Amino acid sequence: MSLRQKLQTAVLPLTILSWLVLLYCTLSAASPTLAEQLGKPAAWVALVAQAGFAAGVFLYQRNLPDPLRGTDFTGLLRRLLLGPGVLASVCVGLHLLERFIQAEAPSNDRVFFAVIYTINLALFIIFLAGTNYTWRSLVLFRAPTHLRREWLWFELLLGATLLFRLLNWAPTGLLAYPVMGGLALFGIYLSGNQKWVAYLNRRQKWEVVLLQSGLLLCMGVFVVYFLRIEHDPKLVAPAPQHAFLLLTVFFATFYSLVGLLVTFFNLPTAGVFEQKREEILSLQRLTQLIQKGQTEKEIYSTLFDSAVQTVGADAAWLTLDAPVDGYSGQYFNIEPEQSAAIHSLLTDYNLGHIEYLNNDLDNSSGFRSLKLPFSSMIVMPLRSTKRRYGSLYMLKDQRHGFDRENLGILQTFTSQTVLSIENLQLLQASIENERVQEELKIASAVQDSLIPKTLPTDNWFEISSFALAAKEVGGDFYDFLHLPGRRLAILVGDVSGKGVTAAFHVAQMKGIFHALMQENPLARNDREKFPVPSRFMSQANTALIHCLEKSSFITASLYIIDYEHGGFVFARAGHCHTLYYHSIKEEVSYFRTAGLGLGIIRNDSYEKHIKNQFYDYNPGDVMVVYTDGIVEARGAKQEEYGEERLQRVLERTYYLEAEEIKQHILSDLAEFSHGQPVHDDQTLLVIKFKAVQPDSHS
Amino acid sequence: MKITQQATDTSLTLNLDGELDASSSVILDTELSKPEVLDYQKILIDCQRLNYISSAGLGVFISHLQRLQDANVKLIFYNMQEKVHNVFEILGLDSLMTIVPTQAEAVAI
Repeated sequence: MSLRQKLQTAVLPLTILSWLVLLYCTLSAASPTLAEQLGKPAAWVALVAQAGFAAGVFLYQRNLPDPLRGTDFTGLLRRLLLGPGVLASVCVGLHLLERFIQAEAPSNDRVFFAVIYTINLALFIIFLAGTNYTWRSLVLFRAPTHLRREWLWFELLLGATLLFRLLNWAPTGLLAYPVMGGLALFGIYLSGNQKWVAYLNRRQKWEVVLLQSGLLLCMGVFVVYFLRIEHDPKLVAPAPQHAFLLLTVFFATFYSLVGLLVTFFNLPTAGVFEQKREEILSLQRLTQLIQKGQTEKEIYSTLFDSAVQTVGADAAWLTLDAPVDGYSGQYFNIEPEQSAAIHSLLTDYNLGHIEYLNNDLDNSSGFRSLKLPFSSMIVMPLRSTKRRYGSLYMLKDQRHGFDRENLGILQTFTSQTVLSIENLQLLQASIENERVQEELKIASAVQDSLIPKTLPTDNWFEISSFALAAKEVGGDFYDFLHLPGRRLAILVGDVSGKGVTAAFHVAQMKGIFHALMQENPLARNDREKFPVPSRFMSQANTALIHCLEKSSFITASLYIIDYEHGGFVFARAGHCHTLYYHSIKEEVSYFRTAGLGLGIIRNDSYEKHIKNQFYDYNPGDVMVVYTDGIVEARGAKQEEYGEERLQRVLERTYYLEAEEIKQHILSDLAEFSHGQPVHDDQTLLVIKFKAVQPDSHS
Repeated sequence: MKITQQATDTSLTLNLDGELDASSSVILDTELSKPEVLDYQKILIDCQRLNYISSAGLGVFISHLQRLQDANVKLIFYNMQEKVHNVFEILGLDSLMTIVPTQAEAVAI
């Protein structure tokens, strides 16, 4: 336990002891017999006891926890009044008792009188201590540091006045006025700190006025008592600490009085303050409620209710430009016909979509003609920088019903609402976006499943493939189909456009491919069991006429490789030329055949525009099939990769395995288009024909 | 892409300047969709400054091809750059559409 704590616990016993000593001194002064029996104490004992008691009570009160709880000022004053009220009643009671006894049995017994006096003095000092430290709580309520320091000085100086009497020295004459006056001025200065009054509402202010009056009454009771008995001949007690008591009484009274006046004169403005407070509170409430709002309708309703309540409108309505989920606004105390009439009048005045405050509707002939029961109106549009949502209309019966502040608060309300609405919309949009992304992922996965995962393998050729979509789903496609008689059909193509539409047509082409490449049971010979490429293209063109939009087309190449006969036949429907390495000529060249894309001609004449090309291959020949995403890939200067560059790569790499050739082409392409985004889907197939394997005959 | 046009009594010339891609092909489509286009005998497309044509650009010409043929309006391309001509050729459009080297030849048809 620290010394400070020890001293604090010693204060109460010492205070009580001081009072008992004071009582003894008073009694001994009042009764000579008692003085003889117990011995007459020295004069300084009484003075020390008196000063010690006063100091002890103040110190004890000072060390109690701050009586102010939060901003419960009325509670604080009520508790304060209860204490002194009781003390004052006791004081009055004792005095009356004494007077009564005096009246019944007049005597010159000064002992009883002295006891009453000593008790009352103690009560008065306790009362003063309680009051002063309650005032401390109020003065220091949210006070800056310098004020706390000033209060400490005030306490110290007051304490110092206790010594005046103790040292038997009192500032006399000329010196008394500056010292006492200075301290009194200090008290007046501190009494100016009445910040707490601003935190009271009207009802609390009335209550405070009553409580302060009660407090002043109690103070008066004590003061009157002491003034009355001051000159009583029976009073033989040592003179009290005048300077200290006077100053504390002065401060306690003055602070109370100033508080009372401040509160009293604040009463007329209490309504305005309360309104402001209410506005702030309802704004907070609105913000919280709006954030809880799950739908736009809930948010608009909250705005409407809060706005009507806060500005105290007699009638109001809200209209939305575009109804949300069947909610287009709401009405309060007004018929839709009336509101429609006002709206059309405002539109005529070209005021329909701006902030508008009219406090004297009857002044305008237009409004007069509507014969409205209202005289004031505010129109507040709900809008963000991007768009307008609707308008809020507030009406009041009396003229000059609205002020600039109402306009301000409504502005805040509506902008808060618009913010919440847009937040909600953003949230919904992001959920929707997420859903679309999710569906695109599924589409991408579905399309991925359309691309053959396992490439056909046999010992007479090697095949290697590459496919890259520029977006989630692409317009490039390729597929394989084994035909009887050691034949392989390869389809490569590109749907114009990209994205989901293109992806649909890809799936369609795959369906057409598998449907048309079925064995024809009516065929006269093996060759006619399956359509030749040109026939396939013509049939595919017919199939596509009805489902391809007018500006879309498909390019495709179909190859049917016949190993039995060591040859292949293909048709090119507008697709990129086939790059080919002829091992026998040791030459790389393009098959430059004619052929029209699918879906361009939408009648029977298509067959005239497509041709078959036959070729007998040799072992070591290499065929490179690709889509325009490869040759039209852009370089740093936006130039195209081009057929020539592709040809040169094959001239350098034709002797390698199919997989290696593909890798070389891709790395050359990557080098060329380094740093450029992929604009178009890219597909690349490399097929290398091999020499006859001894065990290959089945 | 910039499209300028000159009209005579019988022909309408569209000068294409720039790249005809997905976004600019919308402008071209608007021009060709106008009903008065069908009042001319010839629509001449000057491709001198046409640097690139995407499949969307080709799609615009393809979608108007039948309509122009039905109305007996000739669609003639001239001054076509090599690489643009190559695109028309690969797709097989050179067999469907009239592509001539010079303006004089285009006017003479």
